[in-house]
Formats: sequence, structure tokens, C-alpha cells
Amino acid sequence: MLTQILINGILKGGLYALMAMGMSLIWGVMNIINIAHGSFIMLGAYTTYWFFTLYGIDPFVSILLSMVLIFFLGFFIQKFIINFVIGASLFITLLLAFGIEILINNLALLFWTADVKSVQVSYGGANIEILGAVIPTVRLFAFLLAIAVSIILFIIMNKTWLGRAIRSTAQDLDAARLNGVNVGKIYSITFGIGTAVAAAAGTLWAVIFPISPTMGGHLTLKSFVVTIIGGLGTMMGPLVGGLSLGIVESLGTNWFGSTFENLISFTILVLVLIFKPNGILGKKE
Amino acid sequence: MFYRKLFLMLASFLLVFAFSFTAYAENVIKLGSSISFTGAKSRTGKLYVDSYKFAVNKVNEMGGVNVNGKNYKFELVFYDDKSKPTESARLVEKLITVDKVNFLLGPYSSGITIPNSIVARRYRIPMIEAGGASSKIFNKGNEYIFGMLPRAGDYFRSTLEFLTKQKPKPEKVAILYADDKFDVSVGEGAKAAAEEMGFDLVLYEKYSQGASDFTSAITKAKEAGAEATLVAGHTEEALNFVQQSKELDFSPNLLGLTVGPSEADFRKALGKDANYIYGVASWSTEMNFEGYLFENTQTFVKKFTDKFGYDPDYHNAAGIAAIGVYKDAIERAGSLDPQKVRDAIAKTSGLKTIYGPVDFMDNGQIIGSSVVLQILDGKVRQVYPASGYDAVYPMPGWDER
Repeated sequence: MLTQILINGILKGGLYALMAMGMSLIWGVMNIINIAHGSFIMLGAYTTYWFFTLYGIDPFVSILLSMVLIFFLGFFIQKFIINFVIGASLFITLLLAFGIEILINNLALLFWTADVKSVQVSYGGANIEILGAVIPTVRLFAFLLAIAVSIILFIIMNKTWLGRAIRSTAQDLDAARLNGVNVGKIYSITFGIGTAVAAAAGTLWAVIFPISPTMGGHLTLKSFVVTIIGGLGTMMGPLVGGLSLGIVESLGTNWFGSTFENLISFTILVLVLIFKPNGILGKKE
Repeated sequence: MFYRKLFLMLASFLLVFAFSFTAYAENVIKLGSSISFTGAKSRTGKLYVDSYKFAVNKVNEMGGVNVNGKNYKFELVFYDDKSKPTESARLVEKLITVDKVNFLLGPYSSGITIPNSIVARRYRIPMIEAGGASSKIFNKGNEYIFGMLPRAGDYFRSTLEFLTKQKPKPEKVAILYADDKFDVSVGEGAKAAAEEMGFDLVLYEKYSQGASDFTSAITKAKEAGAEATLVAGHTEEALNFVQQSKELDFSPNLLGLTVGPSEADFRKALGKDANYIYGVASWSTEMNFEGYLFENTQTFVKKFTDKFGYDPDYHNAAGIAAIGVYKDAIERAGSLDPQKVRDAIAKTSGLKTIYGPVDFMDNGQIIGSSVVLQILDGKVRQVYPASGYDAVYPMPGWDER
């Protein structure tokens, strides 16, 4: 039973990590806490749903399509809306992101109604048995894909010109400008990458859980907690944070009951803030 | 200058009069409801809105409500409570004070009905609600609230009774419930009934409303060898629970849910995985009761489906009956006085509706019971008490559907 619980936690943790990755990136580079993050996850889930029901495209294929679509959405939202308040106080950017969230959620409610929908893939119920524990195949796929996306993101950030430009923008705005980095564009691209990763998380979410236009709020909160636990400013932070949260939640709900899921998340958040204010992997400032 | 002012004054007077005349000219009885058009409860809220409109149209087509020989038409006044209890209570106050509604209809969900009912009591305006069944609505000694849904605590009683009749009788039962007012009542009631009927309760757990992850609970139930699993929650949670049971290959002999099976969305979202899942409801489309607004249940179901394009479920039927109770009570009271109508509602006796005969307990809640449903071939069938459809027990495994 313990193996099963640990496996449940690890698989869930991978999804948490992917959810938090986009938020962590945007936060780290632009110092914007993107409250609308969950809404982009929701949009990713819905594009997947539509590709699946209208054209029969498998979610593990359409994940690329929805990532590209939501990348451009994020890119333009940054370019035409958020870039105007980029230097403003945290409060202003929070307020703007909150506004964007309300807008997206209500448009989604308008177009898709509040009905709960679900993506029914044919292999939905398949599972593998190891050591007496059941591993649902979809969750395993989703977990592996989450790891793959983090590795790709890691490579982009560390080995490419774009990655260097993004990191330099995050570190020193003026120095980046002096070296010929178009900061505005880098911000838009970063935001786009952040939302694209959110869309990927949304796709995987849609395969595992039912989706609805209001699903985002809860996910923003979870991403936030994972980002803080893992630590800002490192690429591995969300992964470590996600996996820790997934496992602790799984163990916690097993011992104390399902009511305590959120209590457990926030207790960990508080503990991390007290004992390691910069997160598990966060560097000292 | 003076003339202009005078003219404006006269014009506004005229306007006010014109409006009040139209209101008086057509004898109307205003029924007000603040209900969820948007927000988390809007899916089910819509079912009530549809039903209230459908029933009110029917009453008006029938010639309206006869009050001492004078015919009145029903008129509905709606506000969107955004699924928020505080917003809802405020809007009920507005319905009473600004819109001057005669009587109130309920919102959806127990959590919202409680604050609404308190406002109704403060203004002594009767409220018939069809969307809340928690005992907390009815144990406050509120004389102005009447509920069309049976006691929440009894929801799973019929399912447990059904289980005792199976051979071999299952022993181990798991009960899960959401932490909102209604589902806590359902869970506590189910626990009491299960113990009373001699079941072994292997898992009795509360989860937080809106929870998406049930893997821990399912793992525990599976380890404990639960033969029957009862879940009291909301549609989204029900969907999650079923999907994750399938992922973790947890296939109890009986999986019973409160909300979900009777809703078309639920079946659409799950496809063939929805088959054999059990549900409970205070009503099903298989029943046949003689009605008073509509001839009988079957005619109603047909007319309703033609109009709205979906099968009505118990929410719809209860909403229809609520309007029926008002028409009957107002006619018996022979007055629009809220107190007289309230007393008439309380005295409702054996009123024939497509939802079943209506009688109220002293606390205002309907005397009723729930039936056991099962999804067979994508359709919801009543399987207990017997209705011509045989229950499939135990449920076949996930790969045999």
C-alpha cells in the first residue's frame, strides 16, 4: 500500500512540476506573479479537448498544437497588455494579471458553458502492475512528458542564445540592453514560453481529470505553492517542489484523510517559508 | 424655466403611473428567485431556471391562478447570485423590498438556501425551494421555508436497503463525502443507516469540496476490500472518482453516487464507463405519477425533452412541483397575503404532481424517499424499488463494459 501511495504522489508531483514551471519562469524573469496562470492551463486543456472531440487528434500529439497556440496568445498578451506595466509596482501587475484571469475565465464560461467535460482516450483505463501497485498508463505518460518538457526547457535556458538572453534579462536589465538584447521581445517570448508550458500541463490535466472553465483558480494556487517550495530562479526548482508536494500530499491525505489536502499544501508552504525562505533549491540573496 | 420643470415633473409622474398601471392591469403574482446563472453552481442552477419557466408558462396557459374568482398570472423575477451565498441573500432582500415579489422560490444548493431562507423568515415571505436538502435548512425552526427534496440523511438509505437484499449480502462498505452542508448530512445519514443495517464500515472519510485527487481514498478503499462504495459529492468530483477508480483498477460490486448518474453531462463525459454505476434520486423519469399541471410524469418528460433537448432529472421535477404547490396553496388560501399562503402551503396534503404526491413534515421538508438508479446502456433506470429494469449486481469490471 505504501508503494501505491508513493507512486500516486510521484505521478501527481510530475504534473504539479509542469504546472509550476511556466509560473516560475515568468516570475523569475519578469517579477510578475501571474495570477492568470491557471487560466492558461485551462485554455490548454480546452484546446486539447477540442482537437480531440472535433478532429480526433490524440492529446499526446495535440499537445504540440496547443502549446504553439497558447504560446502566441501569451506572446501577444505580454506584448500588447502587460509590457505597459512591466516597470510598475508588484501590486499593479498583480491587479492586471487578476483582470486577465477574470476575462479569460468568463469568456470561457460564455463560450463553453460551465459544463464539466472530459477527454476519453481509448487507453484511459490501461495500467501496469509493479510490486503489487497499480500504475495508470496515462499518468505515467503524463509524468514522463512532464519530465521531458522540463529537460527541453532546461536545455533551452542553458544552451541556447535565447536562454542566455532570457537569463541575462532576468539578472541585469541594463547590461542585457547594452549587449543588444531586445528586452521587450524577450519579455514577450518568455511570457509565451511560460503560457505554452502551462498549456502543456493543461493538456495532461485534461487526459487525467475532467475539465471546466473554473478549474484554473485552484491550479494557480497549487503552482504558486510549488514555485515557492521549489525556490525561484532555478530551473530544477519546480521539479523538486512539485515532486515534494505530490508525495507529501499523497502521504498526508492517506494518514489524515482527503479533507486535509489543501491544509497540507499550505502547511508545507508555511514551513518552507519559515525554515528555507528561498525555497528548497533557492539561492541566498 | 418654470414650465420646463413642471413639464418634467408631470412627465415623470406619468411615467411612474404608466408603469404602475401596467403592473395592476395584468393581475400578476410575482415569484422571485436569486439563483446561479454563473459560477460553480450554474450547471444545476440552470435546470431550476428551465423548470420554473416551464411550469410557470404551463400555469399561465391553463388560465393562471384563481384567487377568489379573479385570475392572476405568474411572473418570474430572477437574479444571478453568481453561486455565492452572501450575494444570494442580498438579492433575496432586493427581491422582497425593491421588486416587491409576492413569494420566493429557492436557489440551488443547501449552502445558498440557508442564508436565503433566513432572509425569507425575516420578511415573513414564504419560500418554496427545490434545491437544498440539508437538515440545517430545516432545523432552525424557520416557518417560512418549504423544501421539495427529501432529507439528505436518507439519500443512501434505499441503496443500502438494496444491498441487504443481494445474495451474498456484501459486508464491507466505504463512504466518502464532500465537506459541504448537504453532503455531510448525506454522509452522516448513510453511516447511521449502514451501521443500523449491520454493514462493516471500512472507510468513512470526508474530502474537501472540489477535490480532484481521490487516489489516496481509492487506494485505501481497495486495500480494505470495500464491496460497496458510496460517494456523496458534486458532478466534477463524481467524474474524477469514477475515472480514477478505473485508472487504479478499483471495481467494487457497487459504486453509488448522489449527484452525477442522473445528469446527462455525466453520462456524456464518461461514455461507456458510466454504465452500471448506481445513483440515487428523489425522482426518476421512469416513474409515473398523475400530475396536476401536467397529466402525468411520462407526458411531462416528453414535453420537457421536446422543449429543452435534454432529459429532465429530479432537480427539474422538484422545480416543477414547487410551482404546482404555489398554485394550489394560493388558490386554497384565496388570498395573496404571505401569512395565509404560508399556512396553506403547510397544509398541502397529497397534492398530485409529476414529482409524486406532496406533503410536508412539520419542519417544512417534503415527506419523500429516494429511489435507486443504475445506468444501463447509457440510460438512467430505476432499479429499486422494482420498476421493470433489473439491476446488474455486482458491477462488471472496467474492461468488460
